[in-house]
Amino acid sequence: MKWDEFFVTGEPMIYAAMVSIVLVSIAIPAGLTYFKKWGYLWNNWLTTVDHKKIGIMYIIAALLMLFRGGVDALLMRAQTAIPENGLLDGQHYNEIFTTHGIIMILFMAMPFIIGLMNVVVPLQIGARDVAFPRLNAISFWLFFFGAMLLNISFVIGGSPDAGWSAYFPLASLEFSPTVGNNYYSLALQIAGIGTLMTGINFLVTILKMRAPGMKLMKMPMFTWSILITSVIIIFAFPVLTVALALMMLDRQFGTQFFAMQNGGMDMLWANLFWVWGHPEVYIVILPAFGIYSEIIATFARKNLYGYKSMVYSMIAISLLSFLVWVHHFYTMGHGVMVNSVFSITTMAIAIPTGVKIFNWLFTLRRGKISFTTPMLYALAFIPIFTIGGVTGVMLAMASADYQYHNTMFLVAHFHYVLIPGTVFGVIAGFHYWFPKVFGFKLNERLGKWAFWFITISFNVTFFPLFILGLNGMTRRMYTYSASTGYGPLNMLSMVGAVGLTIGFILLVYNIYWSTRYEPREVTGDPWDARSLEWSTPSPLPEYNFAITPAVDELDAFWFAKKTNKSLFEGEYEPIHMPNNSGLPFIMGIAFFFFGFFMVFSWWIPAVVAGLVILGTMAYRTFEQDHGHYISVEEIERTENALRGENS
Amino acid sequence: MKIDHSLPLEYSTEENKLKILGFWIFLGAEIVLFSTLFAVYFTLQGNFADGPSASQIFELTPVMIETILLLTSSFTIGLGIHAMRIGSKKAMMTFFGITLLLGLGFLGVEITEFVTYVHEGATMQTSAFLSGLFTLLGTHGAHVTFGLLWGGAILYQVKKRGLTPETANKSFIFSLYWHFLDVVWIFIFSFVYLKGMM
Amino acid sequence: MKRLFPVPHVIGFASSLLLSLIALVVIKFDLTFAMGMTILGVTALVQAGLQLFLFMHVSENEDKKTLFTNIGYALFVGLVTIFGTLFAMMWGYNMG
Repeated sequence: MKWDEFFVTGEPMIYAAMVSIVLVSIAIPAGLTYFKKWGYLWNNWLTTVDHKKIGIMYIIAALLMLFRGGVDALLMRAQTAIPENGLLDGQHYNEIFTTHGIIMILFMAMPFIIGLMNVVVPLQIGARDVAFPRLNAISFWLFFFGAMLLNISFVIGGSPDAGWSAYFPLASLEFSPTVGNNYYSLALQIAGIGTLMTGINFLVTILKMRAPGMKLMKMPMFTWSILITSVIIIFAFPVLTVALALMMLDRQFGTQFFAMQNGGMDMLWANLFWVWGHPEVYIVILPAFGIYSEIIATFARKNLYGYKSMVYSMIAISLLSFLVWVHHFYTMGHGVMVNSVFSITTMAIAIPTGVKIFNWLFTLRRGKISFTTPMLYALAFIPIFTIGGVTGVMLAMASADYQYHNTMFLVAHFHYVLIPGTVFGVIAGFHYWFPKVFGFKLNERLGKWAFWFITISFNVTFFPLFILGLNGMTRRMYTYSASTGYGPLNMLSMVGAVGLTIGFILLVYNIYWSTRYEPREVTGDPWDARSLEWSTPSPLPEYNFAITPAVDELDAFWFAKKTNKSLFEGEYEPIHMPNNSGLPFIMGIAFFFFGFFMVFSWWIPAVVAGLVILGTMAYRTFEQDHGHYISVEEIERTENALRGENS
Repeated sequence: MKIDHSLPLEYSTEENKLKILGFWIFLGAEIVLFSTLFAVYFTLQGNFADGPSASQIFELTPVMIETILLLTSSFTIGLGIHAMRIGSKKAMMTFFGITLLLGLGFLGVEITEFVTYVHEGATMQTSAFLSGLFTLLGTHGAHVTFGLLWGGAILYQVKKRGLTPETANKSFIFSLYWHFLDVVWIFIFSFVYLKGMM
Repeated sequence: MKRLFPVPHVIGFASSLLLSLIALVVIKFDLTFAMGMTILGVTALVQAGLQLFLFMHVSENEDKKTLFTNIGYALFVGLVTIFGTLFAMMWGYNMG
């Protein structure tokens, strides 16, 4: 590696990015020093093991990544808006669609969902924290530093450029000689380990820490969706771990797994990637289904229709999600038998999904619907997602897929599934639970403006891509000639992308505006909602529940409100809470440097960083940390301060 | 921490139960991890290109030694947990010590085996078959190595702190890990070595 | 001394050694591929079961239903990955 290759050079946009990175990295420490916030940052955030704060950090990171990935998207749309455009060259375009995909799926959708589940799940089951609070902090810092590692690639060494699915042989050392795909294998590996730990943590939390009386079949639907999601994470992510490790071995240690000579099999990568990749789709969609179920039941003022069928359909989806992966590469050229089998399983998975759509519709039927911002997203989700689902069934037909494969039709399809599914879902959840965490709602008027901008612009951006795809425009092509006739629809799509940008800016502006002007919320239950999280004061005390609630039915809080019953019987007792720790943060930094040195194959520094990681683990095993107790007097003080002024 | 004395020490607190359950679930993830490595190995095992094939490099003797060492270590750590449950710290430590020594022996034989392969011109880079083989065996070997460090750390804690709910819990979880590695080895022994020599 | 070596453990250990020896028949005798795989499959599964029930005490846990579901799910995904990969990459591929 020569030093002039170390930094990416030759692009004005990259230089601008470098300057802004340097400025930001000076501004943040300077600001912290000036306002004397170092201690606050360290004590309250970097060392925290509180599930609510970890959740907030996940969501902040996800919003930042949404903007990073959004800028990538805008650049792509701008580049293709007119024929023969010279805004980006081919290489730069390749890097941008690659990082757009990776960032949006793994560093935006996943952490947004994990953030929401961190905040909400312990509250919904009446617990004081997750099962392994320290591990939870480790998960967050591994995700965070994994994301940072990928993000520095565009100024140091060059970004991955072989697509988010990094197919071999293109991603091999021979055809992608820069370190870009080393970043891919290592950054995703680090973040992926964090995600696996999150899955285990939440599965144990939900299975073992529910409030007394809350049987599995009495859990809120969002908690159910996280239970199923955790299961999929636990069994799908190890496949990614292996695939990424093999990729690293192939690129950096000369093995022959995906090589084109010496017996290697390039398509084995695609196979492994999608064995993980398809369940991953359901990892990001099921929590959104859970969020919609909560929101639709709350704002239609009705019990969720078909609770059991909702649960069983999710279980069915979790099993089927492991049986469909080959539909991502029907055109590889395997036999009729293989394509038929996977075509059938793929169509089968539409059945439980359809069951859920009908359940939501029946929940809405004859409900007293209030059109709040979260509800608007939920209502818009149903028809738009159905378009995504139906085009999915079109793609599921193997023989027809030969026509759609790798065209803009496919791009339109998965954006029609992932945006109304996951993105609308997390935004709806964000608006819905925001007052619980911060003690005030997001402004409804601004929220609705953002909603209409986002929903209309989304369709303007992506519907033209269906037509472009059917007309033969392939994905990932960085330019085209005017004679193809692709120009006008691409321009229309660009207009939509600008609208989406305005919508997302409005959404963030709303956070700022509401923080300053929105009236504080005093009841703890601003939406007149159904599940346990709304029975606590907002914002929440550290220990969530002063007294563990006793539950005997689904939507216990709703029925408690209707019958004027109290969920909290008994006296205050000292509450055991885990201690903060700086170890997860330090571990994250060690992983970051380990990954960084590995990317450049600097073995000795990498070994040193690896030893530091082992050292943090050793420290952890010898450490004796039994947490601390919050005394009854302190609980009384806190509760009186939180509830006193309200009642 | 509330300690429930009707249960074995390792299960005696709520936190301990959570940790044991969490570790079992982690082992579920490990099953998938090794299954994927097996899937890769099985797919590539016929692709030995210009390099040697399985039947040309596998030798029964070192494999049998490895198998017996690991099976015995699984037996001794089982005895260690049994000793822990009847409250005999000394016996427990002895059995754990023997387990780690047997693990070290296993690792020694495995490394010798790898060196032999490399001398015979069968390296990880030679062919897809060998890439798959070394990665599968290496991942298992890396787990054993990590286990030796981890087990050593736990043994030291038991020595210093005695059998407490915390150390008993760690020891029990470590024993689960060790047995699991033995199970993985059985499958490697059967479906990599014996199948390769058939 | 005797109480340190409970009989089930000793029998379990002896059986696992014996099962490993039985598995050796696949290389000592000229068996068909299917026969060999069956013997290896059975001996390996019995050994895994021994470890699981005898040494790992899986059924003493108060959450044993969860543990069995967990193992079952892991085996489902693991076997799907192994056989699905072979099906897609080799068997189904060669079928034309």
